[in-house]
Amino acid sequence: MPLLEYLANGLIFSSIIVLGSIGLSLVYSIADFANFAHGDTMTVGAYGSFVAFGLLGGMGGSLLGLPLGFYVSLLVGMALAAAIAVLTHLAVYEPLDTDSIGLLITSIGVAFVYRASLMGIFGTDFLQYDITRSGPIPFLLDTVGVAITQRDVAIVVSAAVLVGALHFLLQRTTLGRKMRATADNPDLARVSGIRTDRVILVMWVIGSALAAAGGVFLALYSQLDPRIGFGILLVVFAAVIVGGIGSVYGAMLGGLLIGMIHELTPLLGDIGIPIGTAYAPAIAFVIMVAVLLVKPRGIAGDLT
Amino acid sequence: MTSDSKGEIGRRTVLKVGSGAGVAALAGCISTNSDDGDTDTPTDGGGDGTQTTDGGGGGGMSTFEIGMVDSTTGSLSAFGQRNQRGKDLALAAVNDVGVKGGELSIVVEDSQSEPQGGVSAAQKLVNQDSVPFLIGAVGSGVSLAIYESVVQGTDVVQLSQNSTGLSLTDFPGLLRMSPTGSTQSLALANIMAEDGHDSVAVTYVNNDYGQSLADAFVENWDGEIAYNNSHDQEQQSYSSVVSQMNSSGADAWLFITYQPEFATMVNEMYSSGYDAPMYGADSVSGTDVLENTPEGSMDGMKIVVPSAPVEEENYQQFVSEFEDAYDEEPTVWSAYAYDCVINAALAVQAADEFTGTALQETVREVSRPEGEQVTSYEAAHQILADGGGPSDVDYQGVSGPIDFDENGDPKGFLQILEVQNHDYVGIGFIEG
Repeated sequence: MPLLEYLANGLIFSSIIVLGSIGLSLVYSIADFANFAHGDTMTVGAYGSFVAFGLLGGMGGSLLGLPLGFYVSLLVGMALAAAIAVLTHLAVYEPLDTDSIGLLITSIGVAFVYRASLMGIFGTDFLQYDITRSGPIPFLLDTVGVAITQRDVAIVVSAAVLVGALHFLLQRTTLGRKMRATADNPDLARVSGIRTDRVILVMWVIGSALAAAGGVFLALYSQLDPRIGFGILLVVFAAVIVGGIGSVYGAMLGGLLIGMIHELTPLLGDIGIPIGTAYAPAIAFVIMVAVLLVKPRGIAGDLT
Repeated sequence: MTSDSKGEIGRRTVLKVGSGAGVAALAGCISTNSDDGDTDTPTDGGGDGTQTTDGGGGGGMSTFEIGMVDSTTGSLSAFGQRNQRGKDLALAAVNDVGVKGGELSIVVEDSQSEPQGGVSAAQKLVNQDSVPFLIGAVGSGVSLAIYESVVQGTDVVQLSQNSTGLSLTDFPGLLRMSPTGSTQSLALANIMAEDGHDSVAVTYVNNDYGQSLADAFVENWDGEIAYNNSHDQEQQSYSSVVSQMNSSGADAWLFITYQPEFATMVNEMYSSGYDAPMYGADSVSGTDVLENTPEGSMDGMKIVVPSAPVEEENYQQFVSEFEDAYDEEPTVWSAYAYDCVINAALAVQAADEFTGTALQETVREVSRPEGEQVTSYEAAHQILADGGGPSDVDYQGVSGPIDFDENGDPKGFLQILEVQNHDYVGIGFIEG
């Protein structure tokens, strides 16, 4: 059943893309620029958690086939990425009096600095979490013929929990309402008494922490090296734009769509269209353009 | 040729203008010219060290500067780091003895394992540092890109340390220390047929190296090809490749890719519970793969790797030096880089002057037959220093006999490795 297998792969890959694209979209909606350092923020978070996991170890016990220490190190990685993003915002983006293009180019520079620092500290060789890989879950393999590991399930479930938590925050808390108001119209938000500079900081924290989670899962899924985040950034951009840039829910939908398309590319070969899987990112971008032709502001461009 | 002689005239003119204009300008000219080996006599700028040839140490220590483009970062960085170690050992061996009474220095630039990065690195070395001899690069696509856009049409000597792509054979001006991969493809096809497989799934990295090895394999393979597709470098997921190879129903899987990509694929195969017999080209083997894949995930896999002459005394000497310095066993890739440096130093020693034109004539001669076979830089240097010509020496490298043919390819031979208990074990040799 290759189709089910591709769909399962797509769901796992999408989880990672979704985590990355939410943060990118948040930064765009509130700070108003395309943050090219976002991919490297993912990498920073992944290295942070990698080091933390090395120090903490498994801590006994496990959840969804991963040691508890991994989940703690995930939080450490998220906190580290958030702290570094806030510092970068305060030291670089905020003092800069330039337009969104200037900020975009600056963020490319920031991306290089992040990556160079990681290469300097950890070298360029790729690394793996010291967590034993297991084969596919036998029950699923026997019943539906789909090979999914516990690790894959952990990635999808954790991503769903994080996205659910963000949804609750945005819809049910005062902070969420302030964030939505600031994203919608910062000037109006400020005159209504919202301290928008604080909201911007919170937005950086949330966006970068989610990005870090995406980076950690990416490293867990394949491997960790200083270029993983930058390597996936363009696909994340595609997800954000197809979903409607600036919209958190659009980013979720876009991430799911782009991740699925990416992993469903082998279907083309299976039905006799000679397009290899090497072209998966290109196909994802073609679909992005097709969606934009029909809905110029993206799937959820009119929502926030 | 032409562009270089223009360069010489340009430099001389600059020197004249410089000496007229003042000391500051002149100082700049001297330093850009220092690679010509005569920092003491700036007016001799175009003369290219004829003085040092017979004068020996007369003019004090002169430095002969050559360039190296290496993959210190990117997906071939594992090779790049091995290369640097081999290079450092060779440079120490050369400078213990000296080159024409001076010393050899190597400017290393990073290619980031990509053609674009390689070309800018080579441009910097050739145009700014004016090196007449360029060691580079690791990836075959990178080596070719450098040759076609920087080296071709000049008289700079390019010697690739690690490229095994087949298409390099079509460029006789581009030398390489590692044997061509076509021998690997042929050997893989034979081994897989011997093991009784009828159909095979092939995946290769989407560049010159992968494409040419895969093409050569398909040409030499008599059975069925159930799947034959490329994949991109540095993707975060190869699960679609692995799923497709599985659904092709092939008896055996062949991987022609690099270590990070292959490690990801092995992990995905393992996670999905696929256990088809695996075969691989040399570039999929290495400690990075062993360390980053689960125990037992590759057992039984067969890999064909270019091999060093492990029974030769000079190779064993190299191994013990390497182990003393770095506390680990060298790979053949370090040995290639080592021999590149030694071969370059001998070419410089044997040449009348330190120019690309002169080095073109000596670089092949010092390591091919007719001439006394020697196994160390010191012995080879002795023959040349005693008045021997380039064809009086036949340097036998730690990586093999070298002996560049008319296409710039060396002789070489291959070892078959099998993964047993998550480690590589040699199970035989094949002549190249």
